[in-house]
Amino acid sequence: MDDAMGADEVDVSRRKFLTGATAATGAVGAVFALVPFVQSWAPSERARAAGAPARLDLTKIEPGQMTSVTWRKQQVYVVRRTPEILALLPKHDAKLKDPASASSDQPDYAKNTLRAVRPDILVLIGTCTHLGCLPKQRFTPGQAELGADWPGGFFCPCHGSKFDLAGRVFKGSPASLNLRIPPYSFDGDTLIVGVDPAASPAAAAAKGAA
Amino acid sequence: MANATTAAPGKGFRAWLNKRLPVDDFIESQLHGYYAPKNFNIWYFFGALALLTFVLQLVTGIFLTMHYKPGEATAFDSVEYIMREVPNGWLLRYLHSTGASFFFLVVYLHMFRALMYGSYRAPRELLWLLGMFVYLAMMAEGFFGYVLPWGNMSFWGAQVIVNLFGTIPVVGPGLVDWIRGDYGIADATLNRFFSLHVVAVPFVLALLILLHLVALRQVGSNNPDGIEIKDNLGADGKPVDGIPFHPYYTIKDVMGVGVFLALFAVVVFFAPTFGGYFLEGPNFEPANPLSTPEHIAPVWYFTPYYAILRAVPDQALGALLMALSVAVWLFVPWLDRSPVRSIRYKGWMSRMWLGIFVVSFLVLMVLGLLPAEGLYVILARIFTVLYFAFFILMPFYTKAERTKAPPSRVTMSHALIAAVFIGGLLASGRVSAAEEGGAVDICAPGEKPAWKHWAAESETDSLPSLQRGARDFMGYCSGCHSLKYMRYSRLAADLKIPEAQAESLLFPPGADKNAYITTALAQADGENWFGKAPPDLSLIVRAKGADYVYQFLKTYYADEKSVVTGVNNLALPSTAMPHVLGELQGVQTAVFRNCERKDEEGNAITESVFEKFEKGTSGRMSAAEYDGTVRDLVNFLDYVGDPSQNERRDLGVWVVLFLLAFSGIAYFLKQEYWKDVH
Repeated sequence: MDDAMGADEVDVSRRKFLTGATAATGAVGAVFALVPFVQSWAPSERARAAGAPARLDLTKIEPGQMTSVTWRKQQVYVVRRTPEILALLPKHDAKLKDPASASSDQPDYAKNTLRAVRPDILVLIGTCTHLGCLPKQRFTPGQAELGADWPGGFFCPCHGSKFDLAGRVFKGSPASLNLRIPPYSFDGDTLIVGVDPAASPAAAAAKGAA
Repeated sequence: MANATTAAPGKGFRAWLNKRLPVDDFIESQLHGYYAPKNFNIWYFFGALALLTFVLQLVTGIFLTMHYKPGEATAFDSVEYIMREVPNGWLLRYLHSTGASFFFLVVYLHMFRALMYGSYRAPRELLWLLGMFVYLAMMAEGFFGYVLPWGNMSFWGAQVIVNLFGTIPVVGPGLVDWIRGDYGIADATLNRFFSLHVVAVPFVLALLILLHLVALRQVGSNNPDGIEIKDNLGADGKPVDGIPFHPYYTIKDVMGVGVFLALFAVVVFFAPTFGGYFLEGPNFEPANPLSTPEHIAPVWYFTPYYAILRAVPDQALGALLMALSVAVWLFVPWLDRSPVRSIRYKGWMSRMWLGIFVVSFLVLMVLGLLPAEGLYVILARIFTVLYFAFFILMPFYTKAERTKAPPSRVTMSHALIAAVFIGGLLASGRVSAAEEGGAVDICAPGEKPAWKHWAAESETDSLPSLQRGARDFMGYCSGCHSLKYMRYSRLAADLKIPEAQAESLLFPPGADKNAYITTALAQADGENWFGKAPPDLSLIVRAKGADYVYQFLKTYYADEKSVVTGVNNLALPSTAMPHVLGELQGVQTAVFRNCERKDEEGNAITESVFEKFEKGTSGRMSAAEYDGTVRDLVNFLDYVGDPSQNERRDLGVWVVLFLLAFSGIAYFLKQEYWKDVH
């Protein structure tokens, strides 16, 4: 190198341009190269297959009783609500943080007062919206430790969050949002968790008939 | 680091940082302040590329470890899980498997460069030794990694290599049990090899590579002229023939990286098995302690040493000679007695012996891949002698020959000549390999029977063919054969068969569409009825090749001697499988003729040789229709063996084009900066 850096010989702008072009192309390439590595952490085909929609025969649930089904590694609570329970639900809106479920997480078709498609069937993801514990059933109204005005609902043993029988959170709970509701639909008396009504077999059949 | 002046005191984050961590000092001393000879040619890319490949192996390896499950029962399945079910898992795996071969390729070229230009001579002996230790660690890493997929080659490769330690006197047999942790290659062996492959050896490699680089910085790079640039210092105290590593060589290396990655991507996306040399067919069959693959050879980068092992007709001596053939590299710095370093100024004897050595290494590489029989053994012995002669005679020929005086200043660009030199050697190696082919024991010296040339000509991007193949597989094959790595749902999605149609027409009634494709035939029933349970066909094309499967389905013929099925098969004689497609093809008859052949002792033996097929009973299809059906089936099985292959090739086009564009831009950048260098 014979006194290479002589400024008069060097086309500085060309160098800057080429350096920038190489660096930019390299950066684009690096970002693209990251994609497969990042994507490889997504649920695999096996996990997706295991997370396929779960089916539950509703005729086996007595009125006022709850059962649960596992969908995508989560406990999904299914409650058959009695007319008495349904009658109690609209009476304590003042005590709820989000009575209309405005900021809570549920499909549009379950964003109503009863938070359900069919009034008698409540479907909830049984994961406390506070820190992820499983809330316990406390369906009997007026239980001593939950207060005389307890309308019946769920009580989370970890940090004491309380929810009513529509999964709505009571004021004073550490949780801020109502229990989440998964996408679900019905095939006759079978509940399908994980499929929206629009994509359900019933809807497909109706479409076929039309 | 006395000249660390760039770390300006000043304020700001940079100053804060440099007070605590010598970032600027490091950059100054290692990049701007490191002067490298200006006459590096193409051979000087491979050091940087070896480092790149090492990093690539680390990163892809870390991600593969997230999905791989060591263990006899889980390892093979988890590799197929990576190939089929992990998003982009096939890409991670092919990057890693191709990376292993490219790592060795690049390191071999790097080593050849050092041999050519005398880069091991004083004061670079330790640099060479550290590099050789890197190479030894790579061999261990490569071997352990090869065992992990737990295919049948993995198993038997481990068996052979571990048994080598049994040749050590006295402690040998006990040592072998200790290495395996069992009385055969087993779960315990696989688990310890996994630990060594992903934790221990990578640490050792990283440390050795770091030391190799530190030693390089201490002694400085050699160059094609083999003279010290430090002997010619300018007024500023810098070598007159040196240029700062940054920007000149960093920019040049960026261009090299682009070109290298483009070549690498061509293999990853278009030939990941590289014709069975990077990923071997038999390794797509699960490890089977009861069945040795017909032809067992290590991966190409180990075959020169393997050929030496087999060349010696004595177990212990062969193992010893193989160990020596690796160890002898370590002594090169002290064997070379030439007054000059570079091959450019050495005499004709050094050139000739280097040529002989390269040819020997390549011929042994080819021989190690071929079966050890007849002429091959003799050739292996000759080239083993030549291999060692290069090293052993080095003190004599390097001292005896007349050398030219190296110039006092470096000269630019002999790269082309060197490239032509090695290219010629490679070509001659290939010619000698080609000459060695064709020793098949048939009567009339000449061609293989015609059916062995039949090619399946798979077109896995032809959807109609795949759909027909899927239909026929479900109709004729799935009664006995499973595709246990393939899901019904994926089949429908990949072949673009609407799900409702697939469920009603293709899948067995009531099948869970997310389940793997099973067969109704119980394993035990299969064994009772056929003597051998019909194998799973997920990987049959990968293991045996499409052509083989095609030939198998086309070469059934009537054979009274086969009591159970009434048919036999040319591709798989005495097959237990009945001619299921016979109702389509009919059953053809085969015409054989007798001929004589001399066996190894010179005795004449009579042999029955296939001549041609003749029409026997008729089936529902014409010959052309049946051929189409078989091609569709093989095509379908080809797809099932590697279901992401279409996606891979589509993606590969873009990756290669992008890397070429990047290399182009980097080339112009390099040209612009290198205007400074005269």
